[in-house]
Amino acid sequence: MSKRGEVRLEGVGKTFGETRVLREVDLEIRPGEFFSLLGPSGSGKTTTLRIIAGLETATEGFVHLDGKDATLLPPGDRDVAMVFQSYALYPHMTVAQNIAFPLKMIRTPAAAIDAAVREAATRVSIEHLLQRRPGQLSGGQQQRCALARAIVRQPALFLLDEPLSNLDAKLRVETRVELKRLQRSLDVTTVYVTHDQEEAMSLSDRMAIFMDGRMVQVGTPEEVFRHPATVQVAGFLGNPPMNLMPATLAGGRASVAGLSFKAPQLASLGTREVTLGIRASALEFADEGLPGTVTLCEVLGEEIIVDLDVGGQLLRVKSLQRERIPEGTRVHARIDTARLHVFDRTSGARLEP
Amino acid sequence: MRPRTGGALRNALLMTVAALLLLVWTVPILLAVVTSLKNEKEVLAYPPTLVFEPTLKNYAAVLTDATSILPNLTSSLIIALATTMLTILIAVPAAYAIARLRLPGKQPVGFYVLATQLVPPIGLIIPYFLILNRIGWMDSYQGLVVIYITFSLPFAIWLLVSYFEDIPREMEEAALLDRASRWQAFWHVVLPQARGAIAVTVIFVFLNSWNEFLFAVVLGGATVKPVTVAMYNYINTEQTQWAQLSAAALLAMLPVILLGVLAQKHIVKGLTTGAVKGVGRR
Repeated sequence: MSKRGEVRLEGVGKTFGETRVLREVDLEIRPGEFFSLLGPSGSGKTTTLRIIAGLETATEGFVHLDGKDATLLPPGDRDVAMVFQSYALYPHMTVAQNIAFPLKMIRTPAAAIDAAVREAATRVSIEHLLQRRPGQLSGGQQQRCALARAIVRQPALFLLDEPLSNLDAKLRVETRVELKRLQRSLDVTTVYVTHDQEEAMSLSDRMAIFMDGRMVQVGTPEEVFRHPATVQVAGFLGNPPMNLMPATLAGGRASVAGLSFKAPQLASLGTREVTLGIRASALEFADEGLPGTVTLCEVLGEEIIVDLDVGGQLLRVKSLQRERIPEGTRVHARIDTARLHVFDRTSGARLEP
Repeated sequence: MRPRTGGALRNALLMTVAALLLLVWTVPILLAVVTSLKNEKEVLAYPPTLVFEPTLKNYAAVLTDATSILPNLTSSLIIALATTMLTILIAVPAAYAIARLRLPGKQPVGFYVLATQLVPPIGLIIPYFLILNRIGWMDSYQGLVVIYITFSLPFAIWLLVSYFEDIPREMEEAALLDRASRWQAFWHVVLPQARGAIAVTVIFVFLNSWNEFLFAVVLGGATVKPVTVAMYNYINTEQTQWAQLSAAALLAMLPVILLGVLAQKHIVKGLTTGAVKGVGRR
C-alpha cells in the first residue's frame, strides 16, 4: 500500500449563492484505497470530488491531504490528477502532446517526457495512437488518453469523475476491469465518482453514499449493501431495487398491506410504524406466504424478475428459474424474515432489532 | 437511379445560383480591372469600347506621379495595423474575462458593448473632432487609431466572447490540475482553440479601419491621409479620373486580399478542430 494520497474531509460544506449543495461531510480516504462516491445526480458527489481537487473551495470545513491542510490550496499544488467525464482532452494537441502536458508544465527535460509519455501510453495500450489528435480517436481511446494524461506524472491522488459514463455498455464493463487492474498496479489512492451502483460495488474498496447534499453512509460495498443506513440508500442500491413497504410491527408480527406474518426477531422493536425492506432475492415462491398476482414477468435468461401485486402493494421477486410465469397467475411469496430490513417510518433511519 | 439524377439536378441548380451570386459580386471588380487598363478617353467612350489596347500607365501614374498613393498606402497600413494589433491585444483578454469570470454587471456591459455599434458614426464626428482638437491629436496617427479602436474594440470583444464561452471550462480545469498557471492554461489551452475566432476578428477589424473614410477625411487632415481619402483626389469638380481611380482602388484592395488568404488557413483550422467528446466544437 502506498503511503501517499490520504484524504480527510472535516465538516465540509458548499453553498452556491443561496443554494446549499453539500453539508457536513466528514470523510477519511486511506492511502492506496479505491474509494467511490456514489449517489444520484445532484447528490453532491461531484462537488465533493471537485473540492478535493481544488476546483471548488469548500465554504465550510477543512480538506486535509496527506495530513496537511489543503482547504485553500490551488489545484496545481495538490499533487492530484483528474479524469473528467468529458475527458477534457486538448483538441489542438496530439495524444502525445496531451499526455506530455502535465510534465511540460513542471519543466521536465524533453527526453524524460518522451519516455514517460511512452510508458503511460503503453500502460493503457494507446502507444500506437500517439500522433493522432483527440478528434480522430474513438470514445474508448479518448478515455484511455485521458487516463494516460492523469497517470503520467504519478500523482498522489487520482480523481475520476464518471469516466465510464460515455462508453457503451460492453466497453464499460471491460474498461472497469482494466481500471481496477491499473489502480492496483499503480497503487495509487483513487477517488471515483459514479451514479452507477454496480460500478461502485465492483470497483471499490470502500464507498460513500450521497443523497441530497449529504453523505449518508460509508463502508465497504458488502456493508453498505447488507446494512443500508437509511431507507433511501436501501432503495438506491441493488438491482432490482429493494422492495420497500409500509408496515406495522406488533408483538413479533408484521402486517403489510392488510396481511400479517410472523417475524419473531423483530419483537424487540415493540409496536411501531416502520418501513420494511426486502430484497427481491430474499423472496421466494412457495405454497404459503404472502398471496399475490403476477403483473409482469421479466425473463433474464438464468433468472426471472416477477412483479407481484400483494394487496395493492408492488413486490418484486427474483427467482432462479428460466420459465416465464404468465401474468395473472396467483402465487405465494415467502419472505426470508432473517433478511428483512427495518427502517423508521418518519426518519427513514435503519432500526436494528 | 432516381435519387442520383435528383442529386445531379440539385447540384446543377446550386451551381447556377452560386455562379449568379458570384457574378453579382465580381462584376464591379471586373469592371474596375477593365477600366484600370484603359486610358481616360476610352473609359468615357460611348458606346463602351470592348476591344482596346490594355495599358499599365494608370498603375504607373498612381504609384509614381506627384500624386502617388504610395505614402497613403503606407499611412493606411500603419493605421490599420496599429488598430488591429491594439484591438486584439485588448479584446482577447477582455473577452476571455467576460466569458469566464462571474462578474457583476456582466449583462449590462454586454449590452453597452453592442449599443455602441448602434450609434450612427456621423453623429460622433463633432464630439470626436472637439476631443481630438482639445488634446492636440488632430491630423495624427494616434488620433485616428484611438478613434478606430473605439469602434472596433466593442465589436471584437462581442465577437470573441461567444467563442470563448464555447470552449469547455473543464479543459482549463484540467490544465490547472496539470499544474498550469491561469496564464499558461490560457496560453496553451484556450488561445490555440480560439485561433479561428481571432483570425476572423483580425480580418474584420483590419478591413473596417482600412476601408474607413468618414473619420479619416474629417480628422486626418493633411499629414495623415489614408488611401481612401487619397483616392477621393481623383474625383474633383472638373472631371473624375476613372482609370486612375480604378487602378488605385485595385491596388488598395491587395493588402486586404493578402490578409484574407493568410488568415484563411487559421479560420479553417479553427472551425475544424474537434474538442470534447460529444460536444464537438463546430
